[in-house]
Amino acid sequence: MINNNVMLVEGNRLYLEQLSNIIRETETVTLVARFRDAKDALGQGVVFTPNIILLDADNPNIMSLLEEFRKTYPNADIICTGEKWSADSSSLYVNAGAKCFLVKPFSSEELLDAIFAFSKPTTGGVAEAKVMTFFSPKGKSGKTTLIANLAMAISRKTNASVGIIDADLQFGDMAFFFNLKPQSTIVEAARDTDFLSPVSLNSYFVPVAKNVSILCGTKEPSLIDKVSIHSLETIINMARTMFQYVLIDVPAGFNPTSIAAAEMADTTYVVAMLNGGYEVQHIQRSLDIFTTWPDYKEKVKIILTRVEPCTITAKQEMEEVIGYPVAGIIPNAYLDVATAADDGRMALDLKPNSPLSQRINYLAGRITKEKQDDKDDF
Amino acid sequence: MADEQINGVIITFFSTASAVGKTLISINMASELAREGYSVCLADFDLQFGDIRNYLRLTPEYTITDLCESIQADSGRPLMPLLTTYSYEGVSFQVIPNPAKLDEAYNLSPETIIEVLKNLRMQYDYIIVDTTSMFSVLNLGLLDISTIVTFLGIVDFIPTIKNMKIGNETLRTLNYDSNKIRLVLNRSDSKTHIQLKDVVSILGEDFYHILHNDFISARESIATGVPLVLNGQESELTQELRALVARYTNKGYQTEETRKRDSWLSKIFK
Repeated sequence: MINNNVMLVEGNRLYLEQLSNIIRETETVTLVARFRDAKDALGQGVVFTPNIILLDADNPNIMSLLEEFRKTYPNADIICTGEKWSADSSSLYVNAGAKCFLVKPFSSEELLDAIFAFSKPTTGGVAEAKVMTFFSPKGKSGKTTLIANLAMAISRKTNASVGIIDADLQFGDMAFFFNLKPQSTIVEAARDTDFLSPVSLNSYFVPVAKNVSILCGTKEPSLIDKVSIHSLETIINMARTMFQYVLIDVPAGFNPTSIAAAEMADTTYVVAMLNGGYEVQHIQRSLDIFTTWPDYKEKVKIILTRVEPCTITAKQEMEEVIGYPVAGIIPNAYLDVATAADDGRMALDLKPNSPLSQRINYLAGRITKEKQDDKDDF
Repeated sequence: MADEQINGVIITFFSTASAVGKTLISINMASELAREGYSVCLADFDLQFGDIRNYLRLTPEYTITDLCESIQADSGRPLMPLLTTYSYEGVSFQVIPNPAKLDEAYNLSPETIIEVLKNLRMQYDYIIVDTTSMFSVLNLGLLDISTIVTFLGIVDFIPTIKNMKIGNETLRTLNYDSNKIRLVLNRSDSKTHIQLKDVVSILGEDFYHILHNDFISARESIATGVPLVLNGQESELTQELRALVARYTNKGYQTEETRKRDSWLSKIFK
């Protein structure tokens, strides 16, 4: 087993003591050296052969220090620590070679998460996630089923880490679909955002499969007020650095939550279920708003669910009627989904060749390969 | 003070599960009440994606936006000329359509919309309100001002029923009179694994009224734009819709005379 030899570099006297104690109390981790002055750590620390360095990012020279530590300790993981997480500075540190960012004072669990659990499967871990928001004009669009299955398919295809955020704040069903009784939900995460970093936010996500985890929605409608737009934005920003793909479920229609999530996303999917009602009008009405974005052609895509027959002709017909490209169509799988959901399961263990699986896999391929839209592609 | 003003009955259709048939039932409720000779106003307060204008093939000149502007201008001008008339074979009622543009819908103030209703309820026997499936500021205001809230449910799969249960429980925490909230089940025998008795036991409450699934009639009604209670086909669903209206109007138990007096009394003692 590899020793976890930690060197602590902390300018603040009080933090130096406090963090030292936490590191000493943490099992499987050894505090081999500690310095208040970063220059001392650079000059003298080498004799202690640390493989983990906790570096005080509140030091004004942090960027040049990071570079020097990288040169001096090429084989050590550098974890930046600071009093407050911010998306901008954190991504600067990570791009400069830090492994991740920890808000201090941290707990033993968070330290261990930072050392072991918190690492993206791909090397480097520098690239930010692709964030996708799933918007629907009205409820009952099939998007919860779509998101859950898509997340699993993306992870299966690429082995990438996928995070789902259930921001459908009044009636989010994601926890239910996965049969979870989460200890922590988006409400607790939002409450704690000021004290969180991506490492600690990670523990609010519930793993549901290898590389797939969920930040569950509110447990009752009145809790909606506990999730401010600002904290939701912070959560999305953190999730960007934690996963390779982030899928966000939002409440139906245009509301502060769905608008914020759509604006932060790289892609917003407008999802509607074809029920013989006025779905086309609803999509067009939504597009009236989304097409005011200058880059809407790249950012806004349509997915239709319960399309029967689920054929390329049906897709082309819908494109004509709507007057906008359709990125994906999903067949009617009501019975499969309902049967699974009634048993407290997600309709995930579908037959791989079932029409639903095929269409979801196709979409997952589109998302992960960044394929260009091709009219004849189905 | 205009003491003789009689406030009409406001019936709001609400649910916390989507696509349960609020619009179809509220349109038929309004149509049936109008057919029976009441003065009726049907309000589409699914402001962003309301379908009443689509269903009834309306091309309204004015919408709720104009009504709100009129109320805010405090001009004292009557609001009724700003409503849109729907009529079919001699039956007619007034409609408040949702805004033409989505951004208008997003920016309307819930307080002003409630003011519009307060004004209009003096003019109509019945105001029927269609809503969205969430606890928004507007919907909470509508629940408060309503005489009756019809909480619509369906027997669907478990997540829908979970949301109905949470919704019903949340409604109960608002402490309305139990008589004000009426649980109505739509599409009772649709294709599903869940039994009606299971839903009743999950909700912990019996349904006040049950409407059967008649997908074909409903779909045809949507396709033709003619409400079920007006299209001359007396399907089982049509009769159940009429029966629901009869229960809400206490028809058969009270004469026209006592009905009027009741609403007057209910105003005094409310």
